[in-house]
Amino acid sequence: MANRINGSMIVIVILSAAVGAGIAMAVTRSTAERALGPARTPDGKPNFSGIWEANNEAYWDLQAHEARPGAVTQPGVYPAYDFARVPAAPVLALGAAAGVPGSLGVIEGDGEIPYKPEAAAIKKENGANWIDRDPELKCYLPGIPRAMYMPYPFQIIQSTNKIQMAFTFANAARTIHLDKAEGPPDDTYMGHSVGHWEGDTLVVDVTSFNGKNWFDRAGNFHSASLHLVERFTPIHPDAIRYEVTVEDPETFTRPWRIAMPLYRRLEPNIQLIEYPCIEFAEEFLYGHVRKKQLVKRWEGETMIIDITRKVPPGDRFFEWYRK
Amino acid sequence: MRSRLLGVIAVAALVLATAGLLRTARVPDEGRTPLSVSSPGPASRTPWGEPDLQGIWTDPYQTPLERPAQFAGKEVFTDEERAALDKQRAGILRRDQRLERGTERDVAGAYNAVFQSVRPAGKRTSLVVDPPDGRIPTLTPEAAKRSQTENEYRLAMLEATETCKEKEPACSGGKYGPPSPKRAEMPPFYNTGRINRNDGPEDRSMTERCMGALLPDFGGYRRIVQSPGSVSILYDTGQGQGWERVIPVTGRPHLPSSIRQRFGDSRARWEGNTLIVDVTNFSPKFSYRGAREKLHLMERWTRLDRNTIEYSVTIDDPTTWIRPWTVKQQLIRQDEPANRIYYEPRCHEGNFGLPTMLLGARAEERAFQRGKGPDPATKDTATDFGNEGGVDALTGNGGAIF
Repeated sequence: MANRINGSMIVIVILSAAVGAGIAMAVTRSTAERALGPARTPDGKPNFSGIWEANNEAYWDLQAHEARPGAVTQPGVYPAYDFARVPAAPVLALGAAAGVPGSLGVIEGDGEIPYKPEAAAIKKENGANWIDRDPELKCYLPGIPRAMYMPYPFQIIQSTNKIQMAFTFANAARTIHLDKAEGPPDDTYMGHSVGHWEGDTLVVDVTSFNGKNWFDRAGNFHSASLHLVERFTPIHPDAIRYEVTVEDPETFTRPWRIAMPLYRRLEPNIQLIEYPCIEFAEEFLYGHVRKKQLVKRWEGETMIIDITRKVPPGDRFFEWYRK
Repeated sequence: MRSRLLGVIAVAALVLATAGLLRTARVPDEGRTPLSVSSPGPASRTPWGEPDLQGIWTDPYQTPLERPAQFAGKEVFTDEERAALDKQRAGILRRDQRLERGTERDVAGAYNAVFQSVRPAGKRTSLVVDPPDGRIPTLTPEAAKRSQTENEYRLAMLEATETCKEKEPACSGGKYGPPSPKRAEMPPFYNTGRINRNDGPEDRSMTERCMGALLPDFGGYRRIVQSPGSVSILYDTGQGQGWERVIPVTGRPHLPSSIRQRFGDSRARWEGNTLIVDVTNFSPKFSYRGAREKLHLMERWTRLDRNTIEYSVTIDDPTTWIRPWTVKQQLIRQDEPANRIYYEPRCHEGNFGLPTMLLGARAEERAFQRGKGPDPATKDTATDFGNEGGVDALTGNGGAIF
């Protein structure tokens, strides 16, 4: 009897301990989940305010691609093999710092961009004429979605009726209207954004584009008929899942989607630093109409940028070569 | 003739490039009372308890920055005086007056009155409230020297032009003669203004290069959006030269002094209902009335009532002015739906004027070399002759947009 009682008591004690531990674990987990949940505004919406940045290679090319030796390449000693290209003059002087990192791409599904045949031809030409055609090189307003995944931080200032986004590149900005706001009477670079909440997801409808923007440095482009639906969903206090449905019947045969995380910049002293690229692009844009050429020079109808490097004094490699 | 035509094309291109952006310069209201906002105003506090500065704001009245000499000793206008001033101002032709076709003066007037913002007279005779005489303090001797150096160089660029030959006000202090050898020299300062030379983009003004916006700014519209710890101000100012500013509300120290920015580095704190912003780290590449990297601003943004923000800024640079000075301005809340449109700052994207101006100059040089055109040094592409239609007592310059 005594033994039985003891046995029961032991079982009860063990059970209680297990239940207690279970409760404790449950409490711990829910506290942890709360701590890991998104920051919230006073009205309970996820609070995206802060400084964010995509951390991927989509700004080079939305599609999966392997690394390549230069942002601009030319045929190497095996002209027949496309995989054997070498860095071309515009970037050669920058060595291995001028290559393009590989990427799995950010396009959902089959990873393809469903261009219409004529648009596919334009995309190919864009890629081949990147330096002359990419609006980024001219410091033009980057447009949406491109501004969202350029390799610079951007800031979200989230209020109740308006969400402002400030981008480092070109000091670009966008306002997302959460209240009713009719679009502008004219087309724009950055689009007209109207948002609403679907649970914890901010859904933004973007229209009124002027069709002058690209998606990336690979020549992927769209027309003025572009219509985006963006979805911002918190997946962690310091990460947002950013998805965009891209629709443009002039350019694509069907809607397609990209998705990527946006990460919070966690440096305690993070702030946007000016990237005054209008100034940076002046020589690129106007250097050839100077009275005295500074970087570019003319030979008849040809504009030339010399890539000359002086052998650095004391460079053993070059000195050996000279011997 | 060809060079003249190129000049016209260049100016016309700039006009077309920016025309879409100039609509912001419209007069919001002709009335004296603040614009009525039909929808209920926001609470004076944000949901997270900070003073609420949000909305679209502008100063709808015309007030001279400095008190014009004719109003010396007078701080405010009576309503009758304002009405009389506006009646007189409404009669000014401004830039709508065509001058002799094909002359530099006529071409310089390519931006006609359509592009000008003419606002009704404000209550005060100057935006400057301190010093009490409403005038910007005297330049320090070193700043006066800098200003003289710049002015001498500018006048040298004009030396061979009709502007100097005819002793126009723009050549005041200069002389008429053969082209100055200084035309072949670099300016002895980092140029941000317009000089009568077109060797490269650096000879044109920051405005023509689409980098005209500066702090402090007393014109245009602002859209303010707040979140806890940040105040965002989208400035719609200049000719599509607006910009986005994010003010951190933080006790963190300023950026290291090695980082200089065109719009400086802002640090803010709330004091009662006032947002106090300290702005330092300005860039030597930009000039606010002669002040560059030593410029220091202390701004105060206070919501007075539903429709009014009082903005004041104390402007200091001990290397430029003998004392700090303060500007005060009332910003009036603008109707959201009527001003819903985000006029994106796309001056640069449409800036065909700048390269065309430079191309025109190259064409003029070639024509001159072949004996087929005048010496470009004798042409004036820098002076704004826009005063022909009469002088506006409140803007001084006839309401020129630059």
